[in-house]
Amino acid sequence: MPESGVPKNIAEKLGETLFQGDKAAAMAATQEALASGIDPLALVQEVIIPSLVEVGRRFEALEIFLPELMQAGDVGSACSKLIEEELVKCGGEMRVAGVVVIGTVKGDIHDIGKNIVISLFKAHGYKVIDLGRDVSAIAFVEAAEANHDDVIAASTLMSITRAGCREVAGLLRELNLNDKYHFIVGGGSLDQVYADEIGADGYAPTAAGAVELVKLLMSN
Amino acid sequence: MYANERPVEIFQRSRSGPFMKEIEFDLMVAKRAQELVREYDVKYDPQLLCPADDEMADRVFEAGVQLFLDVGVYHLDTQRVIRFDRGEVMDALRQAPSTLYLGEGKDMVIATNRGVEDPTPSLNLTGPAGQACSEEHYLKMLISYAQEPYVDAIESGATLTYNGYDIVAGTMMEVKAVQRDSATAREAVRRVGKPGMHIGDCATGMTAVGKMAASDPVNGLRPCDGRLVAQMCELKTDDDQLIRIPHLLQYGTHPINLMTPLTGGVGGNPAGVSVVSVAEFLLGVICYFASYHYLSITHIKWTNNSDPWGMYVLAMTGQAMARNTHLVYTCDPFTMCGPCTDELLYEVAGHAIIAEVCGYHQHGVGSTGGNIVDHHTGLEAGFQGEVGLATTRAGITREQASEIALRLLPKYEDTFENPKRGKPFAEAYDLKTITPTQEWQDCYRRVKEELTKLGLAFVQGPYD
Repeated sequence: MPESGVPKNIAEKLGETLFQGDKAAAMAATQEALASGIDPLALVQEVIIPSLVEVGRRFEALEIFLPELMQAGDVGSACSKLIEEELVKCGGEMRVAGVVVIGTVKGDIHDIGKNIVISLFKAHGYKVIDLGRDVSAIAFVEAAEANHDDVIAASTLMSITRAGCREVAGLLRELNLNDKYHFIVGGGSLDQVYADEIGADGYAPTAAGAVELVKLLMSN
Repeated sequence: MYANERPVEIFQRSRSGPFMKEIEFDLMVAKRAQELVREYDVKYDPQLLCPADDEMADRVFEAGVQLFLDVGVYHLDTQRVIRFDRGEVMDALRQAPSTLYLGEGKDMVIATNRGVEDPTPSLNLTGPAGQACSEEHYLKMLISYAQEPYVDAIESGATLTYNGYDIVAGTMMEVKAVQRDSATAREAVRRVGKPGMHIGDCATGMTAVGKMAASDPVNGLRPCDGRLVAQMCELKTDDDQLIRIPHLLQYGTHPINLMTPLTGGVGGNPAGVSVVSVAEFLLGVICYFASYHYLSITHIKWTNNSDPWGMYVLAMTGQAMARNTHLVYTCDPFTMCGPCTDELLYEVAGHAIIAEVCGYHQHGVGSTGGNIVDHHTGLEAGFQGEVGLATTRAGITREQASEIALRLLPKYEDTFENPKRGKPFAEAYDLKTITPTQEWQDCYRRVKEELTKLGLAFVQGPYD
């Protein structure tokens, strides 16, 4: 079995490449760490997730901009893929904090907010199924069923498309799936009042808030 | 390329251009924008919200052109990149209009290209800026805009329901709601005795079919009106947007290029977002055949543009376009605060003063960042036009605009994290007379007095 714990020099080297969004260097550092026998799970838990969480914090604090967040997320995904392959080779599997199916609702093509939320979910160790934009209610449900999902997250920027969230909530109730999944909503045109009105399990006004909300819902 | 061949060419390129994943396009735009910021030496100084640097404005323009040529336009449906060469861009720019006739009859206004520190005052094309409105108060709300003496044209809000039912985009409910809301706008301008006033859009329409449903020369939007065609952040379009163009051109109406660049978004820092914004003007010229261009800068966290980043992007992009093109363009203030607060009016004022000296016509207002239903009224919109005129009358320079905006900032920047959302239209106005409450009028007078002390030259206003 590989030894657990990540030596400080390796953690710092990999963490730095993630902050810089340097994909080639990050993948090389990951491969080097795996080759030296470091526990793949420790690499994720002790380096990749904390580094990406820190990138997310810096973004929320307006210390960095969206491209840096996107780049770090992209690099983190590439490293995680390498680590997952190594785990499978060793007969293990990647532990995830939860599975989130996410998309913008029918009619809404504005997805930057949703993409930021995805970056933060990934940073916190969640597996994310991104359905993209303009997603019908049934597509949310089918994706959740197909992926052994925990959370369905519907986003909408535009007020005129927020009825799409109500459709998802209604369909979950109609199919008796509302207790099976945590259904959360977010986006510029929504608030807690609307979330309560349509019977969503939660609403978050910010990307970081969405992660905290899911942690809370899943802990319950 | 003949202009009438351009839609066909755009379609062909959207099917044959280089295939690219969306995130790759985003990262390419982000990287190239920052390279160009360095290459063209575009600087952001938070203490200089409205730089008076002609050479830098020209460099922002050149960098924006280069960005557009280098990255092109992303087509979301086909995931292909539509590219244009310099000759095509410059030819389309040359053919773009510099003078517009908006509205009809006695209510028509002429919108011309404005220069930096132009002595001719801007027009004020305003409304709830596409923000959420209840159907209950929509007619009275639009009247509150149209009746303002410093308003030249109205825009539109987006209602949420039709007879109490949710409006669902892309369905017959959307079409029904668009037909109702464009007729409501028509009724609003008729009620105030300005039946030919230009109506900028029907924002209840989200999809192409919804937007097109507003075309109705009797009860809806006429050829002398306009319709928004939007870009997705950044430099992206899709078939739903492009479908509108042949319809709008055939109808003889004004396509309006809606740009919503995100500060802190793909463009990154304010210098990068200025460069991206210039490129987005060019997209609107060549792909959308825009009559005029509508810049709605959006902060990535707060959705406002009354912050230093937003005002810098406003200033640099406006000057770049004013000095290097003959286009007609507008911008809107998106604020954190809402009606019945002084803060909302200070946010509007800072934005309007900079816009006035940087070549824009006034547009707006997105009170409460567009986040709260019915938190928009005619008062702040008329006030915006009044501030624009007072700026020009006083001969305010860019240096002075920058200084005034910096002095206004402390009056509201504390609200960014804890906004004062104020009151909804139904509480900010007397609904019987459609006039602002005493409380809201008092805010107007207080803020106007402060702005007068800072050098603006107001004339008689509606609530003095």
